[in-house]
Amino acid sequence: MLVLKRTVPVIIAFVLGITAIAIYFIPHQKAQDLNETLALWDRIIAAFAFFLGMYSLLYIHGQRIRRRQAGWGYSAFVYVGFALMTGTAAYNRGHWVLVAPVPGGAYDWLFDYVFIPAESTMFAILAFFIASAAYRTFRARTIEAVILLVAAVIVMLGRVPVGALIWGQFPALQEWVMSVPNMAAKRGLLLGVYLGAVATALRIIFGIERAYLGGSGE
Amino acid sequence: MIDRLISIDRRIIFGFVAVGLIATTLWPVLLPIRPTSNVRKIYDTIENLKGKKDAVVLVSFDYGPGSAPELQPAAINILRHCMTNDIKVVGMALWPDAVGLAQAAFDSMSTMYGKVYSRDWTFLGYKTGMATLIINMGQDFRSAFGQDMRGTSTAEMEVTRSISRLADFDYVVALAAGNSLDRTAWIPFAVDRYKVKLGGAVTAVMSPDMFPYLQSGQLNGLISGLAGAAEYETLVKAPGSAVRGMAPQSAVHVIIILFIIFGNVMYFLQRRRDRAVRASA
Repeated sequence: MLVLKRTVPVIIAFVLGITAIAIYFIPHQKAQDLNETLALWDRIIAAFAFFLGMYSLLYIHGQRIRRRQAGWGYSAFVYVGFALMTGTAAYNRGHWVLVAPVPGGAYDWLFDYVFIPAESTMFAILAFFIASAAYRTFRARTIEAVILLVAAVIVMLGRVPVGALIWGQFPALQEWVMSVPNMAAKRGLLLGVYLGAVATALRIIFGIERAYLGGSGE
Repeated sequence: MIDRLISIDRRIIFGFVAVGLIATTLWPVLLPIRPTSNVRKIYDTIENLKGKKDAVVLVSFDYGPGSAPELQPAAINILRHCMTNDIKVVGMALWPDAVGLAQAAFDSMSTMYGKVYSRDWTFLGYKTGMATLIINMGQDFRSAFGQDMRGTSTAEMEVTRSISRLADFDYVVALAAGNSLDRTAWIPFAVDRYKVKLGGAVTAVMSPDMFPYLQSGQLNGLISGLAGAAEYETLVKAPGSAVRGMAPQSAVHVIIILFIIFGNVMYFLQRRRDRAVRASA
């Protein structure tokens, strides 16, 4: 069983990983066709991940309801929302699932008048929390903090029209902050992140990193 | 007193922000908007397609309702710009919850400018895969999207008849709230592998991440947040929700800056007082 649990997945990861890297650099039509087939497989597997996510969501909230955990009512609401959205999408104004979505039904109504306002409201609340967090965190305690504070003020004023009314050079200064110091820092960070990603990918392909198999990886 | 002010109740800050937002929404002030070069590059690219026979622009909706206030005005005005210049538009979504938003944008703009579905525009809908979907589109567009959202074959529609690969699109604009633009899909595959010309529209919080790609030319232009959308609205001469949103956004930015200044004044007063106490002790 250990062979099936450990060895076979590592072999699959190695073969597919090396193949995917190799075909990226081989312009031959056969390699490109294989690339397309692998991409299609990936998309089919990704579609199945939706079912896994759905199961996981319903399982976790089902457990909360069963155990009457604090806030279990919200979990019940997850079930109600899930049933409503799935049911109305499947009903499709009486045409059911095998026909392309028919506009103007209950699903569209729920999406336009419940889902969009609810999610937009949640993100709009961020403006208030950011204001409060900015007040508490932007303190000129050190030189680095002063640099951060000055950059934040320049960008905040330079990105909105009122900045240009206060001082005409704010937009240009903001553009410079974004295009020079910000870009230099971001580029360094991105190079580090991607080198790390390459290293991790190689560790998975060569079977050194096995955490994705579950357990401790040993 | 200083200690109380330095740890001011956050509800007071919320109150100031709310008053600033409500006041500038109820009594809007139209502020002058100057388009930046990054936004203008997207505008110019679409403008240069004007008059080109069978020019097709692909617009990818990769965001959800949470980012819609920032990205939907940009999407609407890109569609407006294409449609008013008789440029065909194809829409798609890498996020499932973008489908309703994309459909609404296409419906409103096509009705407004009398554009015909399947001849002037189509919406392909959502498909899974992100990077692998882009790879499939790069190799064979019709195998990736055999049909559009309404079930019409992409081989039969006039708008997609000339498209066999991703590179056949004259321009691609990806509106993204996640990492589909820079990390997982568009830049690594559509641009680097299939040599697509790409413009981006992102939320304001994401825009600092995009500057390395702008400098390298992997992104030819960038619409950044609501401010970027307002710049685009100004360029297409159709001021709408983004331009109206500039006054509340300006007000909140000013309020935050005033609070930061106030907080720092209190901080220095507190520090001076503590030093004086320590010196006298």
